[in-house]
Amino acid sequence: MALVETQDLVKKYELGGETVRAVDGVSLSIERGEYVAIMGASGSGKSTFMNMIGCLDIPTSGIVRIDGIATSDRDGDALAELRNQKIGFVFQQFNLLARTTALDNVAVPLIYAGLGTEARREKAKAKLEEMGLGDRLDHSPAKLSGGQQQRVAIARALVTDPVILLADEPTGALDSKTSEDIMQIFESLNEQGITIIVVTHEAEIADHAKRRIEFRDGKVIEDVAVNNRQKVSS
Amino acid sequence: MIGNIRQQASGWLVNVAIAMTALRTNLMRSILTTLGVMIGVFAVTLAVAVGSGAQVSVMQSINALGSNMALIFPQPDTGEGGRRSFDRGRLTMRDARAIEKQISGIDDIAPQLRSNIQLIVAGRNASTNAVGTTPGYGKVSNLVAENGRFISDADVRSAARVVVLGPTVARKLFGDFDPVGETIRINRAPFTVIGITESKGSSFGNDNDDIALMPISTMRQRFSGDSLAGPDDLQMLFVGFQDGISLPDAKREMTKLLRERYRVRGKDINPFTIRTTEEFMKESAQVTGIFQIVLVAIASISLLVGGIGIMNIMLVSVTERTREIGLRMALGAKRSDIRNQFLVEAAVLCVIGGAMGLILAIAGGTALTVYADFPVPIGVGVGVGAIIFSAFIGLLFGGYPAVRASRLSPIEALRTE
Ligand SMILES: Nc1ncnc2c1ncn2[C@@H]1O[C@H](COP(=O)(O)OP(=O)(O)OP(=O)(O)O)[C@@H](O)[C@H]1O
Ligand SMILES: [Mg+2]
Repeated sequence: MALVETQDLVKKYELGGETVRAVDGVSLSIERGEYVAIMGASGSGKSTFMNMIGCLDIPTSGIVRIDGIATSDRDGDALAELRNQKIGFVFQQFNLLARTTALDNVAVPLIYAGLGTEARREKAKAKLEEMGLGDRLDHSPAKLSGGQQQRVAIARALVTDPVILLADEPTGALDSKTSEDIMQIFESLNEQGITIIVVTHEAEIADHAKRRIEFRDGKVIEDVAVNNRQKVSS
Repeated sequence: MIGNIRQQASGWLVNVAIAMTALRTNLMRSILTTLGVMIGVFAVTLAVAVGSGAQVSVMQSINALGSNMALIFPQPDTGEGGRRSFDRGRLTMRDARAIEKQISGIDDIAPQLRSNIQLIVAGRNASTNAVGTTPGYGKVSNLVAENGRFISDADVRSAARVVVLGPTVARKLFGDFDPVGETIRINRAPFTVIGITESKGSSFGNDNDDIALMPISTMRQRFSGDSLAGPDDLQMLFVGFQDGISLPDAKREMTKLLRERYRVRGKDINPFTIRTTEEFMKESAQVTGIFQIVLVAIASISLLVGGIGIMNIMLVSVTERTREIGLRMALGAKRSDIRNQFLVEAAVLCVIGGAMGLILAIAGGTALTVYADFPVPIGVGVGVGAIIFSAFIGLLFGGYPAVRASRLSPIEALRTE
């Protein structure tokens, strides 16, 4: 059973009497353990697609299945639980809570998972240490570099041990050196078995993935396996 | 089950922690919002306390009169309407004796004449309200001589020139000096001070201690003989009853007796009025009840304004933090989590404001009690009520913004700048 599966997925927007088909009939499946890069021109529907498989947005028509569960069958609370348990999000703008320590930021998903204070602190601390931020637990985002902030965000995405990591242009706000660090982290996470779907404009980032899906005008125009990692890093 | 409850409790604690963080982040704004609730709770709490203080003070005043008593005075009782078969109100010493003899359950009676008098001693003078009465007055109105003695039957028989002073009058004339046995001049005639009454405080803003008592016979001879139509007329009669006597029954019997004596027939109005302490209490309770309702209603307006302030700030807060709401939803927050977060935030604001308002009200109430001699009891009940009520205000006015926040779609909220 595919981990993520879409069937004829459509998202339409009505804009001043004109219909925009942001995602226009996408059917694909992503297996457990895959590392997928989604590419395409600006406005091609990448983010819209990601938001629907992340259960943040509701499709106009078509089906999304996560781990065999059709999201259209579920109410808002069940989807919130699904996001909490199975999906980790990494955003371009990090989306950390301001004036809140790294530790507390990472612990937020655990609040909604119903963990007690002690358990939350322990898990959040462990994840931050994995991200090499063991000495930055009490720093607020304003006192962290962009790369560090994104690593806090990744720790937060992973703290509930999800099966999928969804990253929409995770390096869009970072320089190339820092981007490379983030990609190293993604790679090792994928080696640990986490399924990663990353949206990017940059070929260097996409080259880390094992599969590349190209969007244009809301449709998939290319879906290929990638096997050139060695070539890129040499 | 227990784990579930603990989980829920810790969920609420987390919401309190989130709320405190959010409130601290906008400290100035939080304080100003709190101020509105503080003033509202202060006003309502004080209004409730002043109202019940008024009630207490009225009851105390009535008890100071004597607790189980009827007052009869020669004033036509126009209460029920009807024909008037006389030229003026009637009440005489003979009526008083008839009542004493024929009505059962009487403890004692105190016929009275009243007049304003001028007292002079060694260059100091005071004017006061004098009551000419009999020894029964002490018993009926719970008044005892603290120093010296009260008026005796012999004083009344001989129309002796003796006077019992209230503490206020004694202080005006003699300062701290003990006046018992001294001679003073009342409207130029020499009188001997035979006693000082114990203090009865004040009621309705009147000083109960600003009084002088003398035998009714002396009063009739010297001060009010002219102002009364008949030589036997009274201005007031107190009838004290034994404990357990029904005052409405006693009033009915006395009315019947006096109507017979004055030959009042059918629906004609009485040339006298009988009021009982029980009636005073009932009327006062009604008046102070209305007073309290009006007071609390006015004070509630300021609480309402405070509540609207809360709603306003919570709406601003929700708008400002739309992105945060979206993020929390992405990370797994359910609608109810978001709603509770903002509800708790509003409730925390209100409870802090309420606690400050309560403290302020206690300070204000204490000041009123100390400086204005007006009892303002802020009991534990009022305090707890004020806090619970402010939390309720928070939930009420925070409810709309909180529900609005929880209805946001995750993606719309996340995309907000
Ligand atoms: N909320 C919305 N209302 C109206 N139209 C929208 C909305 N969100 C997206 N669109 C439209 O849908 C299309 C796809 O947008 P989407 O954000 O998915 O593109 P994208 O591939 O992520 O682009 P980029 O690379 O610039 O992030 C665009 O034409 C966009 O204008
Ligand atoms: Mg995009």
